[in-house]
Amino acid sequence: MIHFISKRLKHSLVLLFMASLVCFTLVVSAPGNVAVLIAELRGAVATPGYVEQVAEEIGLNKPLLVRYVDWLGDAVRGDFGISYRTGQAVSADLPKRMFVTGVLVAGSAVIATLLSLLLGFLGAFWPYKLPDRVSRGLALIGASTPTFFVGALMIYGFSVSFQLFPSFGFNGPESWILPWLTVAVLPAAVLSRIVRVGLEEAMTSPYVLTAKSKGLGRTAILFREALPNITPIFINALGTQVGLMTATGIIVEPLFAWQGVGDYFLAGVRFRDFMVVQACLLIFLTFFIVVNLIVDLAVLMTDPRIRRQWS
Amino acid sequence: MSLNRRAFLQASSAAVGLAVAQAALTKIAYAEGAKGTLRVAIAKPAGNLDPQSHFAIWAIQDLMFEPLVKYGKGGKIEPCLATDWKLEDGGKTLKLTLRQGVTFQDGTVFDATSCKWNLDRWMGKDQFSWMNCSKYFQSAEVVDDNHITLRFKEAPLALMQELSYTRPTRFLSPKSVGADGKFVDPVGTGPWRQVSADDTQSVFERYDGYWGDKPSYERLEAKVIPDPRSRVAALRSGEIDLIGGFWVAGLTPVEAKQLDAAGVPVVIDPGNVTLVMAFNPDRAEALKDPLVRKAISTGIDRAAIAKALYLGYARPAGNLFSDALPLAGKQYDAPVRDAAAASALLDKAGWTGGPVRSKEGKPLTLEMVVSPEAIPGARVVAEVIQAELKEIGIDLVIRSVDHASKHTDMLEKKYDLGFFLTYGAPFEPFGTIVGLFLSTFKNDVEGKLVTDPVNLDPLINAAASASEDKVEGELQKFYDWLRDNDAIAPLIYVPTIWAHSKRVQGFSTAPTEYDMPYENIVLAD
Repeated sequence: MIHFISKRLKHSLVLLFMASLVCFTLVVSAPGNVAVLIAELRGAVATPGYVEQVAEEIGLNKPLLVRYVDWLGDAVRGDFGISYRTGQAVSADLPKRMFVTGVLVAGSAVIATLLSLLLGFLGAFWPYKLPDRVSRGLALIGASTPTFFVGALMIYGFSVSFQLFPSFGFNGPESWILPWLTVAVLPAAVLSRIVRVGLEEAMTSPYVLTAKSKGLGRTAILFREALPNITPIFINALGTQVGLMTATGIIVEPLFAWQGVGDYFLAGVRFRDFMVVQACLLIFLTFFIVVNLIVDLAVLMTDPRIRRQWS
Repeated sequence: MSLNRRAFLQASSAAVGLAVAQAALTKIAYAEGAKGTLRVAIAKPAGNLDPQSHFAIWAIQDLMFEPLVKYGKGGKIEPCLATDWKLEDGGKTLKLTLRQGVTFQDGTVFDATSCKWNLDRWMGKDQFSWMNCSKYFQSAEVVDDNHITLRFKEAPLALMQELSYTRPTRFLSPKSVGADGKFVDPVGTGPWRQVSADDTQSVFERYDGYWGDKPSYERLEAKVIPDPRSRVAALRSGEIDLIGGFWVAGLTPVEAKQLDAAGVPVVIDPGNVTLVMAFNPDRAEALKDPLVRKAISTGIDRAAIAKALYLGYARPAGNLFSDALPLAGKQYDAPVRDAAAASALLDKAGWTGGPVRSKEGKPLTLEMVVSPEAIPGARVVAEVIQAELKEIGIDLVIRSVDHASKHTDMLEKKYDLGFFLTYGAPFEPFGTIVGLFLSTFKNDVEGKLVTDPVNLDPLINAAASASEDKVEGELQKFYDWLRDNDAIAPLIYVPTIWAHSKRVQGFSTAPTEYDMPYENIVLAD
């Protein structure tokens, strides 16, 4: 296990370094002069020569390699620089924003898990009957509806029409429900199919036949025998979906006025706020790597076959 | 380390169950509008509110910080912290009488000393040399508690207008800065005092020691909602009371129509910003010919753009500035589209044939650069123009770029046709004229609408140095030159759109896009 973790950590560090290089290059090679944008942002009529002053101030005149080394060195020390747009330290903004995104992803993951299990079980319990067809239909709709549209529907239905939940803000559980549901729809649809197919496969396995011969009922077999056996597959798929849910935050956070990392990243991109964009990309990449690591560990812990490979 | 799969599932189920129970026990109820509180949407966090800084939302600064004089509707300069003013010495000396009985929100008295302290923070500093009053500043002398005299090396153009700007001219308490002189807290003399501010909202309470008419309600919350659709939904659901404004939380004509259809009160102000099309003869040889520029201008249906894109909320423009602004010059009706006349002009200019006209074997193809991020709706306007110009034999290629690239392209003149917005009140007319037309003024943010050092610069300089009784005539010569040469093509006067909940009564728009329109509101709770 320690050997596995150590190997994975080494891989992750190399991956992170390469990713930092790629994201830095992509960000700085984007067209447009950020100094002009900042000058515009700071005043309706900029002082003559002010753009050069801004460029000097934010170090745009330095060679790219120097800028990369400076940035990476500071980032390793936890200093992500100053946001050109707001004048605030990025490292001071990030923890608050990571908490907001964390709440979004965690809540959505729980809802997606519950919904997918419910839909998957509906299908598996009555295979090829009406509940299965309904479950499949819902999964198809959920997987093919764009998230921004789901969000707009949620707001229109639950906030504007019925006024049940707030349409914006991060003010406690009642304001979390709609964003959670919005993000959860797509992964729930995808995961429900994994549950359904996994259970179907499990139900044809020899151990299910053994369970049947012992006189166990269908419900008991599904819950006690089949479900534990699809856990590793489900965890793997959930891990991928959690990564995607973080990316979905870029759409959902601004929609619900949540000041998370997604919203921060989007505003950063819009204003070529290099420091913010680079920090967010690095955070996203780190998150993906950590989630993958956790998923692999969870699978390792729950699947004896894989555990045997590493022991 | 190993974990039994059943134990794993049981532990996970227990955690989920607990979370669901927690959520179920939490009272889920829709929050009714807070009594006595006006809830305004803002598109981004208010930011650092230092009046001498450049990060914050102007309209939020306007809630707390007041100027010496206010910019009223139509450009009338009205008293605020100064009750009287007198220009002497050919405009080089300004004698101000300050309002008595004014205190900052921390109890500090506003007098000539605190006034001078504020002026010394920015006047005469390089950073603010784009303002004439700062560029030509010589000294500020305290006469007595309520009188102060400002002296300038040269008479500053539009001095009183400049003193009405939101920043850097407004006044903060001398106690609101740290020992190093750096801004710490937003404390002004205005009717609103900041209670709290973060990335999600800024909360203000009425300052009861305010010298003027106090707002009829006690609290104002500016809530950050970046997405325009979410702002509209929040207004419809009753969670906020006010959205709109050019710089506060913009509302598109389509959204305004939807709100109107849903029974939400929508307020349209004709606005004081003009959408102007620029020609770049330096890049497109064809545009050097005034006949071609006139043909393009004549070939555009401004009324259709105003109707189709702005859904009737905008007015077609025939001038650089609308009559809502002072010194806007003689007002002409917007040109009416005449495809036959436009074609005739192109024939006369030697561009013939079809479907794309050509001259000496070169087709009449022009590139228009648009950025919907910088100017909402620009892409659609460009497409309308593209279709209209096609009818008269001009092949218009649209290049859509993002905000950052637009800046670079406009600065480096990498366009044949492009869009500009004028600056709007209180910067007009000289803000736009100097910023976008004077070749000797380095504008490295917006680029230039049109420059002509030989013909245009002398007209601008003459207007800028004219005495008060002659400025109108001198400006008219500038406007006439633009018109006679078809140097630009003003398209529409961009409207300001606001929408409010039914609990908001007596709403009226502010004189400029930089002010918060809170003044006349009464809340029906």
